[in-house]
Amino acid sequence: MAPLKHLEMENSIIDACFRDFCASHGILTVEDFLLHDLYELAAFAEREANADRLKEGITVMLSLIEVKCRPLLNGMELLEDLQRNKHTLSSGDNGADSLLQGGLREGQLTELVGPSSSGKTQFCMQASASVAEKQDGRVFYIDTGNSFCARRIAQFICGSSDAAALRKRVLSRISCHTVYDIYTMFDTLQGLEVALRSQVQMNVNEYRLRLLVVDSISSLITPILGGSGSQGRALMVALGYLLKKLAHEHNIAVLVTNHTVGAGESGKTKPALGETWKSIPHVRLMLSRDHRNSNCTISILKHTSMPSGKTVRTITRKDNQQCL
Amino acid sequence: MVTWTGLEHFRVGRFNPPPPAIEADDFVYDLRPRWPRGEERGKSPAIEESFHSRRTFMETWRLPLSSSIRGKLISAGYTSLSSISSVSSTDLARGARNAWDMLHEEEALPRITTSCSDLDKILGGGISCRDVTEIGGVPGIGKTQIGIQLSVNVQIPREFGGLGGKAIYIDTEGSFMVERALQIAEACVEDMEEYTGYMHKHFKASQVQMKPRDILENIFYFRVCSYTEQIALVNHLDKFISENKDVKVVIVDSITFHFRQDFDDLAQRTRVLSEMALKFMKLAKKFSLAVVLLNQVTTKYTEGSFQLALALGDSWSHSCTNRVILYWNGDERYAYIDKSPSLPSASASYTVTGRGLRNSSSSSKRVKMM
Repeated sequence: MAPLKHLEMENSIIDACFRDFCASHGILTVEDFLLHDLYELAAFAEREANADRLKEGITVMLSLIEVKCRPLLNGMELLEDLQRNKHTLSSGDNGADSLLQGGLREGQLTELVGPSSSGKTQFCMQASASVAEKQDGRVFYIDTGNSFCARRIAQFICGSSDAAALRKRVLSRISCHTVYDIYTMFDTLQGLEVALRSQVQMNVNEYRLRLLVVDSISSLITPILGGSGSQGRALMVALGYLLKKLAHEHNIAVLVTNHTVGAGESGKTKPALGETWKSIPHVRLMLSRDHRNSNCTISILKHTSMPSGKTVRTITRKDNQQCL
Repeated sequence: MVTWTGLEHFRVGRFNPPPPAIEADDFVYDLRPRWPRGEERGKSPAIEESFHSRRTFMETWRLPLSSSIRGKLISAGYTSLSSISSVSSTDLARGARNAWDMLHEEEALPRITTSCSDLDKILGGGISCRDVTEIGGVPGIGKTQIGIQLSVNVQIPREFGGLGGKAIYIDTEGSFMVERALQIAEACVEDMEEYTGYMHKHFKASQVQMKPRDILENIFYFRVCSYTEQIALVNHLDKFISENKDVKVVIVDSITFHFRQDFDDLAQRTRVLSEMALKFMKLAKKFSLAVVLLNQVTTKYTEGSFQLALALGDSWSHSCTNRVILYWNGDERYAYIDKSPSLPSASASYTVTGRGLRNSSSSSKRVKMM
């Protein structure tokens, strides 16, 4: 916890005699200040020679702490925020959109689970193409398995006229980053957070970031999960919270992919990353592919407002023959 | 505070390389400081100028950001606040590429041919660089043959449409036969000589620069006898490839052998394997080479029957970019694209001849698209 000395640079009222007074009551850090009985402290301050300055110092400390704390919201403000800021992004696939009542929701973390080669990367690329083209938004694609293929995304874009210029415009809104370990991932996400915050301050009128895709998050977490220590699980939860914070504060839809593992005795496959990760995403979708007729089935495992178990069948798009 | 300063300078790159092991007699250590100190010795600028430069250098340093961000800003050249405020956020976020640039890069990426035109067609031209491709199949289907063929084909010079690179062959089972590699190399050189004959319209074979011996010289062979050796080798590959920059393919035959037996803790096996997969991905991306991993099969009990599936489980099958499964169909060998981000599922047949991998000469020449 920060010692009181660090606050002096910006607030000159917290000077050496204020700190000495606090130290005489055992308050050396901000945490001590929060835990101490403030009425008692004010009463003691009354008896000192420079009582006014000391009480002013206490008030300044309290106001600093309030600024750092999150504001309280009531239900109406939340509803207004939802209706004004958090739109629904079409995922590019009619079946998925009808299942999710519109598509991916900004401010929510959506997880796609599926066995290998079931179409998760294709779904991510299709969603990126749809958001960049139809919703005029930027896409931040984090790729851990070298599966980002610009050519395939170009196939998902359909336009009636002026194909080349449209393709260039749409493709330049999708930026791709490769990360191969979880620490680089934290680095990238924190860099993104700084960039987004400065963008809000400068009010730049470019296309704003609408979709963040992480394909796939399980290959970053599986090497550190398990084993003797719980550091892996801590990092996984921290990553989940960081993604949800980004989604809520900057009105982004976050899409991550996960793989499945065999469940041993029961025989059914279940999503990887275990029980702790289960509660972190807002929406969990399960993809499965029937290899005989290349039909994909998407079903809801968990959703904030819909019952689980709903399924829908879609056909994977081979090439850009039909446009929606 | 001194240690902290040292770390910032280290991050920015202001440090000396380690001293050479054996130094020449007239070698002199250069002890001049590498970082700006306000006023240079020997010159005498105005005192205000030296203070100003020192102050602006510290400006970025004093910003209330995390140290990694500060280090990155300083290393990118933004030492004063005025330089940072004049640039937009998109310029600062260098290191990202957008999909339009990547589209052009992907079209220019070379591919390694497999000497079998049907197989090349379903692979979109051959094994692509910057990808990790997993090839799996039952014993005897030709996985090692494909590995040896690729390590020869990567060396085809650029004039003949190849990559002109070297190969790393990591052998865990001991199935690499040098005589077979020599046989395939000789066949490759003969094909190249015939090709030059066609090119120059001689219609007779003419001499080619490459000899079969040169081809064998350019295959770096590593024999691995336990899983710790395998992990150590994968960690070492980064340094090895930075010293031998023309390596264009890394073939591991096979990746499962040391992980199937004697591994008691399955959770640890999953962790070790996923870490190894990430390291291969990083290698492939950093040096733009192709990584080919050969895998074995195992039986799995699903849906009430025993089926063949690739070894190492579901977590491993998730961590490759492309997957090709080889299987028998009657008397013919077939290859099937199981997983790919951009190629449709298709299968094609091939044969293994004395000269290497070739097209099968069956009547049905068409590629079966799923």
